Amino acid sequence: MNQLSKLLFLGLFSLALTNCEDRLEIDPAQSLDADTALGTEANINTVLVGTYAEAGRNDAYGGLYQMMVDLLGANGNVTWGGTFFDPGDIFNKAILVTNGFVAGFWNTEYAVVNQANLILDNLDVVDSSPGERDRVEGEARFLRALAYFDLNRMFSSGDLGVPLRTEGLVDYSADLTIDRASTSAVYSLVVSDLEQAIELLPETNGVFADRYSAQALLARVQLHLGNNEAALAAADNVIENSGRTLTPTYADAFNNDANSTEDLFAIQVTSQDGENDLIVHYASEANGGRRGDVRINDAYLDVFGSDTTDDARANFFVEGEVAGRRLTGKYTNQFGNISLIRLAEMYLIRAEANLRLDSEVGASPREDLNTIRGRAGAELLEEDDDIDLTFILNERLRELAFEGFFLHDYRRFGVEIDGFDPDDDALVFPIPQSETDTNMGILQNPGYN
Amino acid sequence: MKRILTTVLLLFVGLSIYAQQVINGTVTDDEGIPLIGATVLGVGTTSGTVTDLDGTFSLSLREGTEAITVSYTGFQTQEVPLTNATSYDIVLSSASEVLDEVVVIGYGSTSKRFLTDNVAKLSSDDIDKVPVPNFQSTFAGKAAGVRVSQTNGKVDAGINIRVRGAASISAGSDPLYVLDGVPLINQNESQNGAPLNPLLSLSPTEIESIDILKDASSAAIYGARGANGVVLITTKRGKVGKAVMRLNLSGGVSEPTNTVEWLNTEEYVELFTEAGNNSGIDVTADFDRLSNGTDWRNSEVDTDWNDVVFRTGQQNNADFNISGGDEKTVYYLGGAYNDTEGIIIGNDLNRASARTNLRHNFSDKFTGGLNLGYSKTTINRVANDNSFTTPLQAIAQSPLSPPRLENGEPFAGTEYANFLLALDYGSYETRIRRLTGKAYGEYRFTSWLSFNSDFGYDMSNTTEDQFNGSRTPFQSTNGDAYSSNALQESYVWANYATFDRELSPGHDLNVVVGTEFTEAQRNFNSVSGIQFPSDDLQTISSAAEITAGSGSFTAYNFMSYFARAQYVLNSRYFIKGSIRSDGSSRFGADRRFGTFPAGSVGWIVSEESFLKGNRTLSFLKARVSYGLLGNSEIGNFPSRNLFGTTSYNQRPGIEPIQPGNSTLTWETTKQLDLGLEFSLFDSRLSGEIDYYRKLTDGLLFSTPLPGSSGATSINQNVGELENTGVELILNGDIVNSGGVRWNASFNIARNNVEIISLPNDNMDIVVAGNNINRAGEPVLAHYLPEYAGVDPANGDALYYINGDGEDARETTNDPNAANRIVAGQPFPDVTAGLTNTVAYGGITLTFTFQGEWGTSLYNAGGRFQSANARFFDNQTVDQLDRWQNPGDITDVPQARLFTSNGTAASTRYLEKADFIRLRNITLSYDLPRDWMERIGLTNTQLYLSGLNLLTFTDYSGYDPESRYDAVDLGRGQVFYSAPAARTVSFGLNLTF
Repeated sequence: MNQLSKLLFLGLFSLALTNCEDRLEIDPAQSLDADTALGTEANINTVLVGTYAEAGRNDAYGGLYQMMVDLLGANGNVTWGGTFFDPGDIFNKAILVTNGFVAGFWNTEYAVVNQANLILDNLDVVDSSPGERDRVEGEARFLRALAYFDLNRMFSSGDLGVPLRTEGLVDYSADLTIDRASTSAVYSLVVSDLEQAIELLPETNGVFADRYSAQALLARVQLHLGNNEAALAAADNVIENSGRTLTPTYADAFNNDANSTEDLFAIQVTSQDGENDLIVHYASEANGGRRGDVRINDAYLDVFGSDTTDDARANFFVEGEVAGRRLTGKYTNQFGNISLIRLAEMYLIRAEANLRLDSEVGASPREDLNTIRGRAGAELLEEDDDIDLTFILNERLRELAFEGFFLHDYRRFGVEIDGFDPDDDALVFPIPQSETDTNMGILQNPGYN
Repeated sequence: MKRILTTVLLLFVGLSIYAQQVINGTVTDDEGIPLIGATVLGVGTTSGTVTDLDGTFSLSLREGTEAITVSYTGFQTQEVPLTNATSYDIVLSSASEVLDEVVVIGYGSTSKRFLTDNVAKLSSDDIDKVPVPNFQSTFAGKAAGVRVSQTNGKVDAGINIRVRGAASISAGSDPLYVLDGVPLINQNESQNGAPLNPLLSLSPTEIESIDILKDASSAAIYGARGANGVVLITTKRGKVGKAVMRLNLSGGVSEPTNTVEWLNTEEYVELFTEAGNNSGIDVTADFDRLSNGTDWRNSEVDTDWNDVVFRTGQQNNADFNISGGDEKTVYYLGGAYNDTEGIIIGNDLNRASARTNLRHNFSDKFTGGLNLGYSKTTINRVANDNSFTTPLQAIAQSPLSPPRLENGEPFAGTEYANFLLALDYGSYETRIRRLTGKAYGEYRFTSWLSFNSDFGYDMSNTTEDQFNGSRTPFQSTNGDAYSSNALQESYVWANYATFDRELSPGHDLNVVVGTEFTEAQRNFNSVSGIQFPSDDLQTISSAAEITAGSGSFTAYNFMSYFARAQYVLNSRYFIKGSIRSDGSSRFGADRRFGTFPAGSVGWIVSEESFLKGNRTLSFLKARVSYGLLGNSEIGNFPSRNLFGTTSYNQRPGIEPIQPGNSTLTWETTKQLDLGLEFSLFDSRLSGEIDYYRKLTDGLLFSTPLPGSSGATSINQNVGELENTGVELILNGDIVNSGGVRWNASFNIARNNVEIISLPNDNMDIVVAGNNINRAGEPVLAHYLPEYAGVDPANGDALYYINGDGEDARETTNDPNAANRIVAGQPFPDVTAGLTNTVAYGGITLTFTFQGEWGTSLYNAGGRFQSANARFFDNQTVDQLDRWQNPGDITDVPQARLFTSNGTAASTRYLEKADFIRLRNITLSYDLPRDWMERIGLTNTQLYLSGLNLLTFTDYSGYDPESRYDAVDLGRGQVFYSAPAARTVSFGLNLTF
């Protein structure tokens, strides 16, 4: 009997010794190893979806990018009245190198770049059809161009552009220090990516980037670079061929759960995913915001002159919970999409480029402006009305306000911003301290040392 | 199957019977007074009894038993060798000397005398009566080199225990908790951003003793999990003897230890009018808005928001237990209830718990038992410190604003969301259900060889339910709700054999060899919904739209082999070695197993002839230990290069979430400990001195990467960290005459932490901008621009440039131009505790002072609170000293509304947080025993107990112990963090 119990214990003991070691192999249930993630066509497609999600983060096109452009270029149109330091400092043009919003934007845009690069590096596995591969490549190039364009617009100073990476990083044990590229080298990549994307992408592509998203972005880029012919050609092509149409009313262009007829590219937000920080900072509490951190000043209305009764854009406001706070009507749907490129901008680009080139490709500047103005109910321009660049700038302010254009438009037109010369160092973001702390030797922008 | 079981049971029952001998005797104290209820046990047997009312006992023992041990609370346990006599008169001496108390060391226990390790022991006397709901806070200040702090004054706040500094930077720094041999789940399951103490579910009343393994020699038996020290908790057990029932009832009140003074309405109007003028802003409309149209010019409303946030809390405790047993079976059955209403409005906790510990001798050879504890804890929580709706952020509100309107509704027009709206119309309830159990068997083949098999199970189920009604702040979806369910469970199966034998006279050998397998799993589900038909319908089922859900699973396993041997020569020379090999699923496939050896030697010098019998130096022991420990708290899959899931427009996507590092492994800590234990002047003064050196290499770091790489951090084993320190413990028997006893116990520890090396030629690692890991400096040192005061000419805030050049000590008003400096460390380097016990008659007074020196705290809220009126936030009163006119000399810059002037992160908001605190004080009175016996009670005690009654500090914030609960606590920050509670409690303790 005794022997048996001893045996029993020894049996248990040896069982404990032998039976468990093979159980040390456990795989994560919620994530994939990188090899798997980049190893099949289906997975590359989901990485691509993930890249859109990354671009749609609040730090970037989920709203904070647009807001930072509006605040740094406020020029009396808006006031930051919220209680966050970082946007307040951007509004005051006194940005610290520790600014968290600036660092968030930098990091998120580079995450977009890296994911797009990983897709481009692994296109080989997308082999179901050449068309599929073209689409995937085109979308990745579009997203990479979008990220680099705005990074460079915000961070480049003189010929000092942002660091340029064109290959995805998988092995992070490598030397990760990288110098800044030249401003023109970054823009060249942007233009080249977009030109390729236009060739690669299909005419329509659901909510994802299609040929005309890329062409519209190219129009914006070329206009920014002063390449008016190229901007004109791209904008004209989009207007003529994209099939997009202006929404019947101005209000219809905003707060949409699904893309409107004039959206050339919009960040998708639903109640279940996506982030809309334009709501957080521009909207009233009832609409999901913080009672209006960004408030619209009376001075903004000056851009409408006397035409404030009929122009829908001069009345597209919401009164917040706090009496007297004027908030924009563009952000009232908490789960609405964020329009990044609207067809209306293409008319404005064509008009401006035609004016600058003294041409009438597609339509005359007056006709294009009237297309925009007519939709908004504004007074139409007569044949003999004098249309100059200032009028174009003002039309952009009327049409595109609070959508992330203020800073870039004022600087492009050479207009002083809140008393700062358009070339002032304070209107360029600093390289975030988190980058200078880790990417040793990277040059800081002038004015931030 | 059933037949096999029956056979097995019969096997155990049918073991042979040995011959018996019977001894008897009396047990008295040194004054000849009989000790009632003293425990008498046969050594190497489970036979035992307790003394009766006359102090006499009678015990039947197996033939060949060589000695008995006699123990009694408050007295030294004595081992009495058995001779041929059958009667023994035993005199116990009081336990001012603790040399012979039993110390639990993991897979066994030993006596303090034989210990070659550094282990701190706490008994239920240290734990009882301290009016806090968590057991960890009860031992603050009582163990040298063990720092215990609660994150802040929320009842559910996380607890941080650091044993001899932190051996890690980014891996876990909490010690391993082991309850009756079962490693406990100690993972924070809070979903609201502020850590929750997972061990709140354990009632302090269940605990008999706590042993903290501090050095490598003791902790190495826990291998890859021992680097942060090990806290061994032993729950109460029954003793042989008649059933003893105990009832303990207590109730108390609490309030914050401290509050901070803010501007009143008059001062606020003055400062902000000036700030507005300086920025060209007319603030009268804002004052009208903030004051809800009341007459702010005449202070019609003058709210001290401290009064709105804090309340008088309450605490009620009841616990009842019954224990006892006979020679075959001992039992302990207990239940406890705690109801704590916190000092912060909306924050409370209640816990019901029960425990059953049973042990039965099935035969002389086979003993088995079952420990089972279960509890349910319900907590009403408030939001984390970085949330607009956490109560403490209300101190930012203007004093002009009324908290509530005349109709009782919260005023919605405050500068920040009024937390009262969240309090009235929202809720956040957390429930923790905990089950810890152990079934065990011990089989003794012979008197010197036994085999133990322990099967432990631990389950922790945390559910959280949040509801924000349609009227809560930032609500735009007719209410939203969130519900989560986290189920963690682990089982541990340990099997070990113990050899314990005197090989020949003077040669004792103790060997333990075993294996342990641990499997832990976590299942997590959550769901969020919006659009509720009514604020009265608050569960997710009522949500018209479900907006988010999650379901996840993760797991880790450990397979371990361990062995330990101690050889004792002539009861005076000791040598011990242990080794543990741990394999874990957490480690990369190439580095799956780690081996952790340790060794120690000890010498009781006072047993040598040249000291033996010396009454001045009655005891002297020297010991040295060295060993290797690991830290495996590095997450479950830290080495993998992973892509996680995301979605866009409700289509599935994946994205990189973690750069891989295939060589990632555990951190290794080598620790050396030199110790000296002594006892002087007839044992009136005893103590220990220890020196240690802990060197951790392969530090796990979440190393920041340049954002331009597309990732922001990577897990790496980099660098070395050293903790060196000295610990001194003194126990004194100061007065022991005329019926007065006064004992004091003092401990002080100094820990010096330094980063020895970092990767890439010691490249600095800056964490979140304001903390730095730099070679030669302490971990996570504050790294800030140095504030230089105010330019008397213009009121601009100034900073020292602190560059390399000649202009280093010149100042600038541009924070971007100021270089950061290492400005302090976020944890103390000196900790001390002093406990005094004074007894006279039935009255006992015990009090513990605790102190910490060396910490600097950064107030991340300072740039709002003490910001010379940067925003409309109410300001600390010191801001009234602002610069106003050229020539003013002050540290507070000119007030400029909406313009940053001195509000960049800098040493302006860094402050020393040294303190001494009267941690707890208890006055108890034992009613005369003869009175009580007449009504059938054996003991009745009344007591008054206080917690945190006094604090001595120069720190100007709420509390030098509070920390910001929404960031890494190691960074030493505060941000609207609640002060600790000060509690006074009255209790009644009855024994039947």
